[in-house]
Amino acid sequence: MSNVDDTAKPVASGTVEKTDSHFHAYGKNRLGLYLTLPAQILVLFIALFPLLMQLYISLTDWTPLTGVRWPQAYQLWSGLANYADLLDDDRFYGALWRTFFIIIVAVPIEFFLGLAMALLFMDEFPAKRLFYSALLVPMMIVPAVAGYMFFLLFQSGGPINQLLSLALGTKVAISWLSDPDLALAAVIISDIWQWTPLMFLILLAGLLGVPSEQLKAATLLGASPWQRFLTILLPKIKAIMVIALAIRTIELFKIFDTLYIMTAGGPGVATETISVFIFKITTQELVWGYVAALALLILFTLSVIAGLAMYFLQRKKREVAA
Amino acid sequence: MQRSVIFELIRYCLVLIALFFAMIPVFWMISMAFKPIAEWTASGADLTWWPKAPTLDNFRFIFGQNTNALIVELERTAGRAILASLLSSVIGTLIAMVVGTSAAYGLSRYNYGKNLPLALIQLRLFPPLAVMIPVMIMWTFLNLVDTWWGLSLIYGIVTLPFSFWLMKTYFDEMPKEIEEAALVEGCSRFRVFTRITLPMMAGPLASSALLVFILNWSDYLIALMLTTREWVTIPVYMASLSSSMTGQLYGAKAALGLIAAIPPVIFGIAIQKHLVRGLTFGALKQ
Repeated sequence: MSNVDDTAKPVASGTVEKTDSHFHAYGKNRLGLYLTLPAQILVLFIALFPLLMQLYISLTDWTPLTGVRWPQAYQLWSGLANYADLLDDDRFYGALWRTFFIIIVAVPIEFFLGLAMALLFMDEFPAKRLFYSALLVPMMIVPAVAGYMFFLLFQSGGPINQLLSLALGTKVAISWLSDPDLALAAVIISDIWQWTPLMFLILLAGLLGVPSEQLKAATLLGASPWQRFLTILLPKIKAIMVIALAIRTIELFKIFDTLYIMTAGGPGVATETISVFIFKITTQELVWGYVAALALLILFTLSVIAGLAMYFLQRKKREVAA
Repeated sequence: MQRSVIFELIRYCLVLIALFFAMIPVFWMISMAFKPIAEWTASGADLTWWPKAPTLDNFRFIFGQNTNALIVELERTAGRAILASLLSSVIGTLIAMVVGTSAAYGLSRYNYGKNLPLALIQLRLFPPLAVMIPVMIMWTFLNLVDTWWGLSLIYGIVTLPFSFWLMKTYFDEMPKEIEEAALVEGCSRFRVFTRITLPMMAGPLASSALLVFILNWSDYLIALMLTTREWVTIPVYMASLSSSMTGQLYGAKAALGLIAAIPPVIFGIAIQKHLVRGLTFGALKQ
């Protein structure tokens, strides 16, 4: 038995490093194993079996319509054909490109709007908390509901065209959601609306973490607001900016709910992103072997990215804490 | 002095502009929810920003009461969908919180499960659709499709990264002296966890649970894949609200959307301070 140090000794506080202290005081104990076991089981349950199964299915032409149960999918063995098809599928590349296009356009806009709002909220002003809460509301709306809100707003007889008509003085009747380019724009607008508040929230937390003495000192020394931003604020919140950008990029890569309710990927494939593409070929075309190959490709790519990001995050975390 | 007054004015203008854009979609949905059928699709000059004849018919309709304007028969009322959303979100939150909190404690204090932080980040990173086929097959095999417990289980797994990471950062920060003193006094390790640590963590536990609940409540995709009839949740039910006679039931959908939007907004504002930590996986504390 390894748990001889069951009668734990308290460690003299202050002298020992914190990370070390619990190590000695708590020791290795079975309780730790029991407590982490359910989580381990759930992770295995959702990771291991699905992974192995997808690997198997992806090497076959199996679909739920073949009448063969999936364990017998080897009867439809097709080797690497699904993977070859994938690399040759223009619809896949299109979906990938549109996903990246949405990320490239929406993330920077969300970032700069969020940063601007965060800078406005750095000082105290009357009713600040009320405005702050109200500006966070969009990110708390259920995404599917947000999708429906924008579906309503972008109707050709809807309020957005009405506002444009008022502003331009002529009658505007753009059919946003049935024009391929405008539908993509509408999707991006809805994402900016919903997730700029998240950027605002994260960046403001970062800005407020900057010691105010430094800012005051800089002001006394005659630094302009712009200089203060560049020389004091920016270096301090760089790490937080990276985290905010990473989170939005990851989440946008998965974009589905809002978009699917607004346009269902249409018109045609004009707003079909990776998630919508997978959803459609899973539920409509039912080519599950092919979907499995695609899913594995995505899982593999993202695992590599996750490993790198995790490493980066840990490093940044230490920097933020320091 | 002159300059700072102008600056404050500019600030207010900018904040108000931001507020205007943040509120327009919300305002429009609220307005739509109270519009009678005649005003649903009124456009151009007839478009009404505020309902001319405000009515509760949309709400009555989705809860299955007969209304004058809407003579569509609903196969299922919204009450059922609200129950499904509520039940699966609450139980899913419970699963995520119990499993996540104990695992976070096991890692923070006993250093077990060192693979979990990365594994759970990856779980969050992956598009749920990338494991949907095996999950659908597993759920079919286990008879979990279209049940509230099947939905709760997947919700518990999907939001586990959040409960785990949040509680891990709280446990890591908590001073260990009290626990250590109790251990020396002869209190069992499990009792230290349940009787001393957890009560001290009541605040963080509550706010983490609320965040997890919001995330579960907000799901659309998983419920779309794993429910069919009996246990469809609010977003899935909402998307299906249309009829062959009248097409999209704009007002009814808006009424339901309004109901769906209320809990997360209230809870979200209540846990504002924890949101940053929760949504950045503890990388940033406020």
